[in-house]
Amino acid sequence: MPEVSKMKKPDVKVVLLGDMNVGKTSLLHRYTERKFKDTISTVGGAFFLKQWGPYNISIWDTAGREQFHGLGSMYCRGAAAVILTYDVTNWQSLAELEERFLSLTDTANHDCIYAVVGNKADLTDPNAQLYQDSNVAPEDQTECEEERPEPQVLSACPTPPASPASLSGSVLHKQVAPEDAVAFYGRILRYKGLDEKSSLPAEKMCFETSAKTGYNVDTLFEALFDLVLPSILRKRNENQESPTVDLEECRGASNKRARSSCC
Amino acid sequence: MERDNHQEGVAEGVKICDPPAESNPPADTLATSLSLLGNHMFPDPVERNYGTTVNREEPVDSLLSDVSAEEPSLNAESHSNQVTKLETEETESPECQNNVATQPSDRGAQDAATDSDQGDSGEFVVTMLAKAKLEEQGLGMKGRSSPLLEAGTEEYPAFMSHRDEDVTADSWRQHRKHVFVLSEAGKPIYSRYGSEEALSSTMGVMMALVSFVQSGDNIIRSVYSEENTVVFLQKGPLVLVCVSSSRQSERQLRGELLYVYYQIISMLTQASISRIFEHKKNYDLRRLLAGSEKILDGLLNLVDSDPSFLLAAVHCLPLASSLRDSLSQILQKAITPNLVFSILIARNQLLTIVQEKTVIEDTRLEPADVHLLLNLIGASSAFQAGEIWTPICLPLFNPDCYFYAYISYLDPPECTVCLLLLSTDKEAFYSVAECKRKIEEAMVAQNSLSLIAKVQSYSVSQVGVSDLRHFMYKPFDVPDNYRQLTQFTSPEMEAPYSSEEEKMRLLDLYRYMHSRIHSTSRPLKLIYHVAERETLLAWVTSKFELYTCFSPLVTKACAITAITKLLRWIKKEEDRLFIRYPPKYSTTPNPSKSSRGGKSDQQDSTDNGFLSLL
Ligand SMILES: Nc1nc2c(ncn2[C@@H]2O[C@H](COP(=O)(O)OP(=O)(O)OP(=O)(O)O)[C@@H](O)[C@H]2O)c(=O)[nH]1
Ligand SMILES: [Mg+2]
Repeated sequence: MPEVSKMKKPDVKVVLLGDMNVGKTSLLHRYTERKFKDTISTVGGAFFLKQWGPYNISIWDTAGREQFHGLGSMYCRGAAAVILTYDVTNWQSLAELEERFLSLTDTANHDCIYAVVGNKADLTDPNAQLYQDSNVAPEDQTECEEERPEPQVLSACPTPPASPASLSGSVLHKQVAPEDAVAFYGRILRYKGLDEKSSLPAEKMCFETSAKTGYNVDTLFEALFDLVLPSILRKRNENQESPTVDLEECRGASNKRARSSCC
Repeated sequence: MERDNHQEGVAEGVKICDPPAESNPPADTLATSLSLLGNHMFPDPVERNYGTTVNREEPVDSLLSDVSAEEPSLNAESHSNQVTKLETEETESPECQNNVATQPSDRGAQDAATDSDQGDSGEFVVTMLAKAKLEEQGLGMKGRSSPLLEAGTEEYPAFMSHRDEDVTADSWRQHRKHVFVLSEAGKPIYSRYGSEEALSSTMGVMMALVSFVQSGDNIIRSVYSEENTVVFLQKGPLVLVCVSSSRQSERQLRGELLYVYYQIISMLTQASISRIFEHKKNYDLRRLLAGSEKILDGLLNLVDSDPSFLLAAVHCLPLASSLRDSLSQILQKAITPNLVFSILIARNQLLTIVQEKTVIEDTRLEPADVHLLLNLIGASSAFQAGEIWTPICLPLFNPDCYFYAYISYLDPPECTVCLLLLSTDKEAFYSVAECKRKIEEAMVAQNSLSLIAKVQSYSVSQVGVSDLRHFMYKPFDVPDNYRQLTQFTSPEMEAPYSSEEEKMRLLDLYRYMHSRIHSTSRPLKLIYHVAERETLLAWVTSKFELYTCFSPLVTKACAITAITKLLRWIKKEEDRLFIRYPPKYSTTPNPSKSSRGGKSDQQDSTDNGFLSLL
């Protein structure tokens, strides 16, 4: 590929994985645009470049639909961090991570870090629901205020939303407890053949977030970006040693593995 | 085989079998419906006025509950005996269909209590075949609601989609055009309005109709009632049904169903759909289409509001040919291996399109494929952020293969100019993204974006023919148009057609002219039609197809003179109105790698991986 050169080359790759509708696009949108707005189900994958200090971080927001399953390993190729996202009100979404998405990460870097993120915490957790995103764009603040009393559960629960006083979030049953996520994190490490002691601890890598209110969203992304810094530095060093290496570097090698493992 | 597939394209829709003369269905269609539904379903004229009462009759219920048994998941407990019957129905459908037809009344007693709210919508489908709605005031299309208006009605809060509609409500029944997609096993796949679950028994009824007629070695094509036209289209393991009160011709409606089918193919490929259903006859395809409903919804709205679909031609933005050429050259220079199409779009209209050489020798890009691409982009506001990489199949190009589409807007945050690059290589994202950077750079250097921003569609007044209000012109003979994309040109719709309602009325008139002129029983070359509030003239020659709309009271002679002027104007402007000399590039050293290649389908669709999930 002689052409791949001039592009402001991303230093590191972060991938969002998870079942459709768990809120991957919303999380990224909240983080980059400081807004929560109506989304449509992602088609394929969407690529974003995020400036983080002097570094370029590329973020892949992937589609959770089965239709695009086969592309997952391509998006994960060479990833430094994978955000495995589920919906705290939907047990199946956590199960899907294990059944369908974990194997896609086989193409990620060997030192890839994994975050387990339970989104839509506003539906079950008063703290998350009442959280105010301090960085909200001014014109968005009001929009948010209006939105808050109406939980985004209309299709699941067509009853009128609770009044702002009584927390509408309590209407929905929390299906996934933080312990479940921690246990899953342990299984990820085992799947990867990683030693629990030398890996990042579960408490650091399991999050509950709300793309709707912004709860924990910055925390999540910023923690991850900080954690991938070593990966960036290592990569820069490698690049100095062999200037031809780029994002596509491990394509050939991992291709076969990806194929055989996804079925 | 390749060409055969394409014959069925919307453009060549002629192949589709003759529609019965309007409001006079051929005996066999009627007869089969009658034997299936019982005479109650086609009440005599007196009863018709009380159409809504007809559907309360016992045999209807019985038929419904009978069919709803095909959906064991919904009615499982109370119907265990019928669930068993379902199994046999799949394998020995003729016999069972006889059951349905001959024993309606005794089942009626047995099952009368099972009429759930799902039954109610099913009832609708049956009765709409026969019932006459209470008269609307006025004639023709006047009283009909436009889908655009419907979209904006306050009946449903804005955040509620059509999917949450109550399928038992009158408002549901009154939609101008319903579209349903189901599998051969009668499983719901898509409904334009209302959720598929709520409609599963309705779809069961439809499938019963289809397979009943099939059991007699016939194919059900349509059913006419006073108010509605019901059109069926079977494509492989999918059955598509349209129930329309729009007065469009059967052929037009079938063409629209074909677009829906193609849009589904564009997401899943024909090969994988067939394989899935070979594998598992009652597979729930919604598993794979979940999340794509908005794309199908968007397509149907476009089909109703954009004449490109009717004309099977693409509409490009009028552009000074020097600007168009410079844009084409920019695209032509930004290439990478396996890139096959580079398309630049502004406000959902084509600016230019550049193709790979070997690909273009092989075939041409069909308008329908471009329509599907444009719809995908338009329906997905999500594309406005970031750079998208997604598999997509162009069904008329090759229904079994995926391309990989790179989609990115060049002018954020306005997001009016969109770049679409198609590659045959799944892994090519980074090199294709690099092409975009080159294109971006070149466009900045040439100030292209601000030039594009100034581009506007044109006003009919520029033609300088008084009384001419609007027209649509589709040439056949542009010398360079041979094996090129079929295009048409049309001015902005202006007063008196500026409201959505009036736009739709004009489009309906065009649709009517189109159906008359392309009537299979009596095709016409020229139609002069004096409507209530305008006069229309449609004209088809070997060189072009033209639809014009004049103010009322324009005589035929005047109209013909005006058209001569119009044609002269178009001739003068054609370099601006059409993409005339589409450039090519060469990126594929090994032509066998092209997506057209016979073998690649296997690899491609398994690559996309979902078969392993069955
Ligand atoms: N209440 C609540 N709703 C959310 C939250 N995040 C997302 N949603 C809603 O969940 C739905 C799906 O969100 P998306 O961000 O599109 O989900 P996704 O994971 O990107 O889905 P795919 O692109 O199909 O894989 C939308 O209706 C959002 O409004 C959240 O934190 N709280
Ligand atoms: Mg998404």
